[in-house]
Order: sequence, then structure tokens, then C-alpha cells
Amino acid sequence: MGQLSLKNVIKTFGKFEVVKGVNLDVGEGEFVVFVGPSGCGKSTLLRMIAGLEHTTGGDIVIDGKRVNDLPPVRRGIAMVFQSYALYPHMTVFENIAFPLRVEGAPAQVISEKVEAAAKILHLESRLQQKPGMLSGGQRQRVAIGRAIVRAPEIFLFDEPLSNLDAALRADMRIELTKLHKQLGATMIYVTHDQIEAMTMADRIVVLNAGYIAQVGAPLELYHKPQNLFVAGFIGNPRMNFLPAICTGVSDAGVEVEVMGQRLSLPVAPRPGIGGASLTLGIRPEHIAPGTGEAVVRVIPSVVEHLGQQTIGYAAVPGREDSFCFVLPGTRAIEDDKPFDAGFAAADCHLFDADGQAFERRVDMTTLSVPVGG
Amino acid sequence: MALFRDENTPMIDRYRWWEVAGIYAGIFAFLFFLLAPFLEGFLVSLRPLSQLFTSPYRFIPENGSFEAYSGVFERLPNFWRFVFNSFLISTAVTVAVLLLVVPAAYAFARFSFRGMAPVLGAFLAVSMFSGAVLLIPLFRLMRTLGLLNTYWAMIIPGVAFLIPSAIWLLRTYMMRIPVELNEAAYMDGASQFYTFRRVILPIASPGIVVVAIMTFIGAYSQQFVFALTFNSKTEYMPLPIGLFAFFGKQEVVWNQLMAAAFMGIAPAVIIIFFLQRYLVGGLTAGAVK
Repeated sequence: MGQLSLKNVIKTFGKFEVVKGVNLDVGEGEFVVFVGPSGCGKSTLLRMIAGLEHTTGGDIVIDGKRVNDLPPVRRGIAMVFQSYALYPHMTVFENIAFPLRVEGAPAQVISEKVEAAAKILHLESRLQQKPGMLSGGQRQRVAIGRAIVRAPEIFLFDEPLSNLDAALRADMRIELTKLHKQLGATMIYVTHDQIEAMTMADRIVVLNAGYIAQVGAPLELYHKPQNLFVAGFIGNPRMNFLPAICTGVSDAGVEVEVMGQRLSLPVAPRPGIGGASLTLGIRPEHIAPGTGEAVVRVIPSVVEHLGQQTIGYAAVPGREDSFCFVLPGTRAIEDDKPFDAGFAAADCHLFDADGQAFERRVDMTTLSVPVGG
Repeated sequence: MALFRDENTPMIDRYRWWEVAGIYAGIFAFLFFLLAPFLEGFLVSLRPLSQLFTSPYRFIPENGSFEAYSGVFERLPNFWRFVFNSFLISTAVTVAVLLLVVPAAYAFARFSFRGMAPVLGAFLAVSMFSGAVLLIPLFRLMRTLGLLNTYWAMIIPGVAFLIPSAIWLLRTYMMRIPVELNEAAYMDGASQFYTFRRVILPIASPGIVVVAIMTFIGAYSQQFVFALTFNSKTEYMPLPIGLFAFFGKQEVVWNQLMAAAFMGIAPAVIIIFFLQRYLVGGLTAGAVK
């Protein structure tokens, strides 16, 4: 159990519409991540699933039952807050035991369950301490402990790692993935950090301004973004966008002219787009120096040498966002010197004037993680 | 702020010698202004009555003694009864105020409801009146209710006039408790009342202690006017009224009056020092990031 459906869910605060009709099915045991820029409604959506916010319109269905008007406990849901929200006057033991105390569970059961939860989260030696004495990572684990002790069917996480430093965040990410395997429960996780989304999710839900922009497996979003928003949001540094003009359509794909060069892109063509202005997208990591089917000469104003990568940022005439390229390894590239950025047509994405993608002809089986060895 | 520096004192806390001298001079001036009446009162209580009206006046008593302190009990055999009454009234007021104000402050801090702002404003407006302004209507009210010459006549108005400031004080404190704690408790299945009792009350306890101290002091100092007006029975008199016994027709027994005042205040001071130990800050440490 632990199947969740959102049916045309809407949330308005006064006249301001935050969530504008979201439809989503989350399967049992799935790890789903909501990502999006701040203000996209992802936290509000999570709080509605939790029962902390009233749902203005639509239905929230858990295991076939409409739960709009049920309190969180009766929805079979537990939530981990961004700020941990630990009870500062209680010991770690009492914090984790709190949901059981509310239920009025017998002392024997409480101590068994709390110790089991503490064991999973490596908190055995901390049970008698107060939250104020713990480190950030430990506090986060106590908050998770309070969620798992009740053995809910669905876990909700509201940006649980954003208060931790980078190294600890990476550790907790791995621990959360392990926890998901261990418990097998449905987890819904809100974050604005796309690394968390890409690494932990079975499926990612990208939200933009109250709508779902795209739902899909992490690599699907990376390789086949359905629109400009997802293309720009997933991937870091973000995808470069160049203005392009459609010059012809063939069975092989769409021919475009971009910055004075002709390219034939292997994307699903649509009728009647000859002469239309389109947007070509190319990821910074798909750019190679000097070679490729298309070569764009740019002058990087800033070059970052990370050792593992070399990243350059250049201004493009007529566009506000800069053109970025990422080269593997340490390269001898200087700022304010011309650089020839080459890329292959097969790596390009193409979007129409409304920002909708032309479907790329890529074989997802070769681009996805192999299943079952 | 560290006035005396050693090599570990950070730059921001370092002062020149004349700055230190200035700070201490300022502290001394304020404290002297505040404490001089108490000092003189204490010195008066050590002096025989005849020395009090000598000219030129001298602050330091010659052959001072604690004779006046024992004299209090001869002139005022039920002195301890008055002290007890003062305590009883103040304690009852404090308990009643806390019982009413703690849930009210929580409601004002956490819930928003129609008419909340006017009610809070009204509380503020009421506390601008001193009790003395409303003595006549209060007297009629007490007479109608048949409460004159009882402890209630001193407790009820005391409670009424101390509630507004207590609500404002505690509400501010409770607003600083993170709302996430309420939400977390709600997610864990706790009812509003359970959350209030098990989560909010313990965290708010330093604020409640502050309100208790303020209310106790307030009740102790304001009972004079109510006791004077609404009570004429000796056995219910609080200390400030009891001290009227030292105002004779011919003369005022100043040294015993001062001695009695000091003895009457002493227990209250001790209680407040005791409560102060519970004023620990940072109780919410570790609750949210």
C-alpha cells in the first residue's frame, strides 16, 4: 500500500493561484522528487498531500480513498521538515517516541520501536541527548526517525537536506536512498537541488509556475526534455539556447540555420514549419573545441579551471544569457581570447516558438541505466 | 562586553581607560538615583526616632541599632498576618492571571480570528487606565456582587488590571516559537490541546516565568489602592494598609515604618530571586536550524 493520486489539484491563496491543476500518479514504493524554482508550488503541493494545507480544488487519493478532509495521521503519511522541527525540550528518545506517545502506545512497544528506528539511523548512542547538543546531520536523522517510527505508507520530505553543508548532504543523500530500499515505502521528496533529484529519484516531477512541466525518469528528462523550461532547468551548467531558422524538413529531420551555419537535426519533424524561428539547445558538456558539425566562435569573458573540468562563459550577441561550455580535464583556454565551440547535430535539442520540443530521435535504451544487467 | 581586557579580548570589546571610567560613572549615577531612597530608608530604620529630625540632617546614623525592627511587632502584633495577606493576594492574582493568560496568549500568538486586532488593541487601551481612575465604578460593582470586605475584592480587580500587559508580553514570546513545531506535532497526530500541553508549554516556560514575576510584582504594588477602597476588615489587610498604623495622629513613626517595609518586602525579593533561576534562555536551541 502507499499509492497516491493527485487529480486536478488546485491551490489558491486569496486570488493568487499557486498550484494550477496538477495530475499525478505515484506508484507504491516509488521515490518521486518534485523539483522546480522557488515559488513554483512544489512545497505547497507537498503540504497539501500532507494535510497541512487545504486543497482548493481537485482530489488527493491515497490507496483508492479520497483523503482531502482527513488529518495527516489518518492519511498514513509522515513528513520530515526542512527545519527539522524537533521538540527542543525532549530527548532524542522522546522526540522519536512522540507519535507513539500520542497514539498512547504501551511503554514496552515504544521503547522497542524507538530503538529499532534509532538503529536504522545510527542514533543509538544519542538517545538521551537533547536536539541542541546534536550536529545538523544528527538532527536531520532524528527528524527522519520521528517519521519512520510510525511506519507510514508514504513519506514526505520538504527540502530535508538544504540546511546541511555540501559534504554532509552527499552522505545523507546516500543514506536516504538506502533507507528507501530498506523500508520500501513510497517517498515524495521536494527539493530545488537537481543533483538530489537526479541521484535519488525513480521519477522526477518538474514544476513550473503551478503546472507540471514534465514527469519522467531522471535520464529521460536530461536527454528528452519536452520543453524549454525543463531543458534549461535540468543540467548544470544550464543548456545553451541559440536562435535558429528552419530552412527545410526531410525524413531525416529538420534542417536549421544557426549563426550562419546549416545543420540537419535528427528530430521528429512537423509539417508547416519552414521558415519558422526556432530555438536550438546544446548542453555545455556536449561542446568540443574546434571540431564538430557546427562551430561557433565565441570569446569567453570568464574561464573557470576546476581541474576536473574547464568551464567558460561567453556573451552571445543578441542574447542575454551567456554561452557556456564545459570541457573535460584541464585545458589551456584563456579568457578574452576567441574560442571555437564545436558540437554535433545529434546532441542538439530543438524547440518551437512556444517552447515545445521536437522529439529527439535518440535511443533511450542506450542512454538509460541498463536494467537487470 | 568585557570592560577589563586581556590578550584574548576581541577588538570589538576593547575600551580605553576613560571609556571604562565613563561607563562606570554612568552606571553609578543611574544606580544611585534608583537605590538612594532605599539606602536612606534602610538608614532611617536603624536610627532612633529622635535623631530623625535633627538639624543639620545626617545620613550616617550615630549609635544605630535594629531596635526599630523589634518595635514593629509591639506596635503591630499582627504584622505577619499583613505580610501573609499581601502574599496571599499577590499569589492568588498571579495564579489566576497565569491560568487565564497562558491559553489566551497562545491563542493570540497562533490563531488568527475575526476581531483579534481590536481585542488586542482594547487590552492595550485598558491598561492605559490606572485602577484608581475606575475606583468608583469598581466599588459599585463589588458592592453589587457582595464582594466588599473579602479577599476577592482585592484579587479580582488585581487580576483584571494585570491581564492586558501579561497577554502582550507572553504573546510576543510565544510568537517566537516556530510554527513548524505545531505542524510537526499535527503530522504526528497530536491534537491542538496535546500540542499545547506537551510542546508549547514547556518551551514557553521561561516566558511564563517572566510573566509570573511581572504579575507578582505588579500585584504586590497595586494592591494598596484596591485594599484601601474595597476592604475595611483588619484581618484581610495587606501590608501596605497595615503600615498605616505607623501614621499616628501626632507623629509618624518613621523608623519602624521603614523597618516594617523592609521586612515585608524581603520575602517577595527572596521569591523573585528563586524564580529567576528558571529564566534560562535558548530553550528552543536545536528545534529548527
